[in-house]
Amino acid sequence: MQLDFTARELTLKLVYYGPALSGKTTNLQALHDVSASDATGRLMTLETRDDRTLFFDLLPLRFQGKNGLSVRIKVFTVPGQVIHASTRRLVLQGADGVAFIADSRASETDPSTESFRDLRENLKQNGLSIKQMPLVIQFNKRDLPGARSEAEIAEQASQGKEPVYLAVATKREGVVDTFMGLLHLTWQTLDLRHELSKKLALESTALFEEVLQKLGQSCTVREVLSRRVGVARVPQMQVKP
Amino acid sequence: MTKSSVPKSLDELTQGTAFAIEDLIGRAMLGELLQGTSALFGLPIRLFGSAGVLLAEVSATNPRLYGYLSSRPKGQKSVIRVVETVKASDPDDGIAFLQPCPPGLRYAVSAVKYDGRKIGRIVVGPFRASVASDPPPELGAIADELDPGRVQTLWSEIGAADDETIERLTKHLTQVLDLILFSGYRALLASNMHLASVRESFRELQEKNVSLEQAYSRLKDLDRLKSNFLATVSHELRTPLTSIIGYSEMLTAGIAGELTQEQHDFIETIQEKGAQLLELIKGLLDLTKLESGTLILKKGETDIGALLDDVAQTFLPHARRKAVELSADCAPGLPTVWGEPARLRQVFSNLTENAIKFTPNAGRITLKARAVSVEVQIDEEGPAVVMRRLRRTAVEIRISDSGIGIPEREREKVFDAFYQVDSSSTREQGGTGLGLSIVKRLVDAHEGTVSIDTNQPNGTVFVVTLPCRKASLVG
Repeated sequence: MQLDFTARELTLKLVYYGPALSGKTTNLQALHDVSASDATGRLMTLETRDDRTLFFDLLPLRFQGKNGLSVRIKVFTVPGQVIHASTRRLVLQGADGVAFIADSRASETDPSTESFRDLRENLKQNGLSIKQMPLVIQFNKRDLPGARSEAEIAEQASQGKEPVYLAVATKREGVVDTFMGLLHLTWQTLDLRHELSKKLALESTALFEEVLQKLGQSCTVREVLSRRVGVARVPQMQVKP
Repeated sequence: MTKSSVPKSLDELTQGTAFAIEDLIGRAMLGELLQGTSALFGLPIRLFGSAGVLLAEVSATNPRLYGYLSSRPKGQKSVIRVVETVKASDPDDGIAFLQPCPPGLRYAVSAVKYDGRKIGRIVVGPFRASVASDPPPELGAIADELDPGRVQTLWSEIGAADDETIERLTKHLTQVLDLILFSGYRALLASNMHLASVRESFRELQEKNVSLEQAYSRLKDLDRLKSNFLATVSHELRTPLTSIIGYSEMLTAGIAGELTQEQHDFIETIQEKGAQLLELIKGLLDLTKLESGTLILKKGETDIGALLDDVAQTFLPHARRKAVELSADCAPGLPTVWGEPARLRQVFSNLTENAIKFTPNAGRITLKARAVSVEVQIDEEGPAVVMRRLRRTAVEIRISDSGIGIPEREREKVFDAFYQVDSSSTREQGGTGLGLSIVKRLVDAHEGTVSIDTNQPNGTVFVVTLPCRKASLVG
């Protein structure tokens, strides 16, 4: 996070992490495609000849909060291939929040677990604990055969506190949900740590509404956030015997 | 591309304030870009950076009309006002059309933005607002005594464009500039990231090197401990063994009274096995001394020929018992080698004993020595090999047998402690498995080499090369 009081500008860094070919770049492409032109710049990709991420992808997003505050969000991806360990660590430096993109297929469980361990290790090397890092998890590629069932994911998700989202990034499904979930969680964490709302006299709900609108969504913030899986249903839905 | 030679971190490059245009695109290149656009539209263009610095311009001088107007006091004021107005104009977004004096001429100022931040402006002008060839009457009136004909000529030198054309021009230029900036920025990030990745990998490697070095020195310590342990144990074993052998000898000598034949046989076995055990312990002790580097050699000029003759004489009875022929054959006039005679005798005794052990009946063993010239390399690594190679005189000793031979793949391993090509042979042929490893270490301690050749048609040749003293350097 970088806060420039004189220019009234806040910059956040969000990192999309995950194993190779889990759809991190596709997530960014989808976000870029749905964003209003005044809210995003070009999607920068640094890739190898075979379209694999070499260093990172970078999607710059900018929003105009109330009181003349400008909120800039830099969304990065990391290269998934195991050999790029040092690059992943470098990109991860200074991250405010992490979205972990996993492949839903049961056959891809091992690479996902390995990559998650790598994330934890790299955060540790950067002097951070994964427990303190705002983290959301996305199970991507829901449309592929062999994907783990929603019930199974929800059951496991309910045992942890990290928001979990389902997605088909190639069809832009679940992409905005994941992003909003991550932004919301990151904001909450930073707000608690640095009293951002108070210092910047900012109404966070208004900011989230603006972000949603610039991402071409017509639903409410609450609706988007409730799309995470594996949370206990709201109390009024429960039927008492 | 960056002003500083130290690569910036990814965060420094992607967060916080924007970069300057001139950081990513050279001024000469910006000039070329403006030139191209200007040639298309026939209008003067200037590009300013974020701090109002002029980065590039197409027409270096103001139009000649301004020069003519400036030659009159009132006209000069008017021209200065124009320049100042244009300078002060800095729109935040989009394009601003300015219509300062002189009448009929216009300027367009457009903001250059990157990622929502203003990083410069493009100024187009002056240009005539309409294609009408006549200057407006007000132009002639802004200064006294202006020649209408000259004003007319100079006026027509200035390009004309409508607002729509200007909008197209600035849009085109902004887009091209944006693309170049984007790819420049991308290249900047990539090169910085590349450098940072290499540095990070290097740091990781260094860390690993340090831990490897630590592990290596720990292993060395352990190895030293092991050697110390072996030395102590060997010494402690030898003391009681000496008593066992001594008392057995006394018994055989009849000091404690006459022995029956059976008792005699038993005690002989005790003596024989005791001696075998003592050899093993001595060997172990030698090996540990050699390994720990505590063996001090008393080197002197040693006559190898005499030494080999002596060894052959010593083992002759042993060889005869096995019906093996044993002879020493040394070239006359051999140079002396620099070594400890007792230790070198140990080397050749060991090899000869070994040869006898593995040579069947009616076999043949020869000990030969000759002078050779060897190439010695000082320091294993480094440039100028030619400066580090010396030719030295050495004595090569070949101990050949017609025994069972040693397969090629085993030849390196036989010098390891306790290694025998066929472990069953230890039991069959006796021996501790320490002999050759001691030989190897003793030869090493004499800066010599030992290797194995094949004897034709069968058998083994142990080749020991021992260098002569440095004083006998040749070449």
